[in-house]
Amino acid sequence: MNIYDIILKKIKDIRMETGDNKPVTNIAASSMLTAEITLISSILIAIVILRLLNKNLMIVLAVLVFVLIFMAMPIMPKLKREQNDSLTSMNFYVIIALGIIVTLFYWGNLNV
Amino acid sequence: MSLPNLLIPLMVIIPITCALFLNLLHERIRTVKVISIVVAFALPIIPLFANYGTHYFGGYAPLIQNPISADLPTLITGTALYIFHPAITYVYGSAQKLMIFILGIVGLFAIFISLYEVKKPSGVYIYLMLMGIASITAMLLSDDIFNLYVFFEIAALAQVGIVLVSKIKNNYETALKYMILGGIASPILLLGIALLLGVTGNVNITDIVYSIRNGLINPQSPVLLMACSLIIFGWLYGTGLPPFHVIKSAMYSKALPTGAALLQAFSVFSLVAFGVIIIRIFSYIPFTHVFLLAISLIAMVLGITMAITQTDFKRLIAFLAVGELGYIGAGFGLGTVFGITAGLFQAVNESIITALLFIGFGTIMYKTKETDMQKLGGMLVATPKSALFVLLAGIALAGVPPFNAFQSKLMLVQASLNSGLPEIAIIMVLMSIVTFMTFMRAFHTIYLRPKPVDLEIKNEKIPKITLVAMVIFLAICLLLGLYPHLATNFLQGLAMSIT
Repeated sequence: MNIYDIILKKIKDIRMETGDNKPVTNIAASSMLTAEITLISSILIAIVILRLLNKNLMIVLAVLVFVLIFMAMPIMPKLKREQNDSLTSMNFYVIIALGIIVTLFYWGNLNV
Repeated sequence: MSLPNLLIPLMVIIPITCALFLNLLHERIRTVKVISIVVAFALPIIPLFANYGTHYFGGYAPLIQNPISADLPTLITGTALYIFHPAITYVYGSAQKLMIFILGIVGLFAIFISLYEVKKPSGVYIYLMLMGIASITAMLLSDDIFNLYVFFEIAALAQVGIVLVSKIKNNYETALKYMILGGIASPILLLGIALLLGVTGNVNITDIVYSIRNGLINPQSPVLLMACSLIIFGWLYGTGLPPFHVIKSAMYSKALPTGAALLQAFSVFSLVAFGVIIIRIFSYIPFTHVFLLAISLIAMVLGITMAITQTDFKRLIAFLAVGELGYIGAGFGLGTVFGITAGLFQAVNESIITALLFIGFGTIMYKTKETDMQKLGGMLVATPKSALFVLLAGIALAGVPPFNAFQSKLMLVQASLNSGLPEIAIIMVLMSIVTFMTFMRAFHTIYLRPKPVDLEIKNEKIPKITLVAMVIFLAICLLLGLYPHLATNFLQGLAMSIT
């Protein structure tokens, strides 16, 4: 099964989960594929910025993230499922973000 | 006080007063129209005539500027009290002039189109638009963080109101969700401001910066660090950066095209107003810049990748608008004069281009009442002129020359390279390419592919004012693309003063 078929199957699965019975069009599948490639390439490029911190850490993380992404592919349908209009999931990510921001600024600046 | 200086507070007072008046008169259509037109023209004109300067509400200038202060004992003149600002202070410089002018232009056409696209103009709708414009203007002018918070709240409520009065399916639900999330974010922002007040004993931003830089307070105070994190969290809500990008894009898509054009301008200028303050107060914390860069990159990637997968064209533009916010944030995150100038320039450009796109795609809604791209097609025949304008707007958004976003994105790429961060430059270029692809897919689907058999297109002509607005927005895009210094000369002073 090639990556296009995998993405198509994943979109169908997610649509079934969410009760969306619309047919999966070529445009939808190719859009998802483009988004997938854009997302992966952006993450990998962003990881290279860590070279400013530590080059070895950057190499290890780049390899690790690449492997993780490869195993978790396709990511975009899952991401789209998470980024929905549900108030519960929005609240969840808002609280998580608040926790991360406070931790990074408060603890990070005092202890690093 | 001279009239040009009096115009500084009037930029806020006039739209608020007229908004309240219009709300009382909303049944009298003719009166609503006349007052709305007069105020709409005043929005971009007042900033052009106002002099640069500072306005102290109540006339309470700092003691150092008061002639009687010469007789005061050194007990007072020798302390920071001598230079502190006792009044709410508005600062009007060249950057504020350009941004309030651009906000006024977007407001002017949003009001005009809303007056002429409907048979019965709503006083309530115009009231909400004017309240939002006045609030964002006040946020751009204010040097008082608590005053800024008050207007931030009014702007948030005005945005909810704009969505509530737009007769679009599920608009109530989206507005309610935005309010609920605001119920989390706004008190947290207020708590951050309260902590800042607790540590510094001041709400004037210039005084807070003075206290931190001159050792009046401990810059590494844990309370100050906590205040920074809480204020940044509130900033994310106001601007629609992640994790608030989903609700913000939903808000844009559930507003009328004129409302969406204004809402995105509110987000852009809120980002600038709070971004400037965050940089001014907290730039001494190195992590602030790292965080701004990281959140901007996340916004860019999430906004644009989510836009690719949308089938509703309003939601698609909404996510692209969120992605574009990332470019502005990246400019602030770089922290250099050139980077911040580029970010501010991108803010000016984005507010114009995205307004043009919302109004341009709004013509599709006007003709078909449809926003689902899967049900659209062949609209080039029905709306050839607006199709051309929308195409040019999409090209401008992606950063293609000779339009304005090309110049600002090029500046951002150069700023990233100058800062030794080529990776950010690469991501910006990649995102611009994907934006172009995403837009062209939408354009092809809506305008170029054959018209679906069951698609009904109204015979009504698109109001001339809508086409005029699009032409003027495009002319501004072209003008700033060919002569970017017309904007950057105005913005550079602010960038230099905050770095």
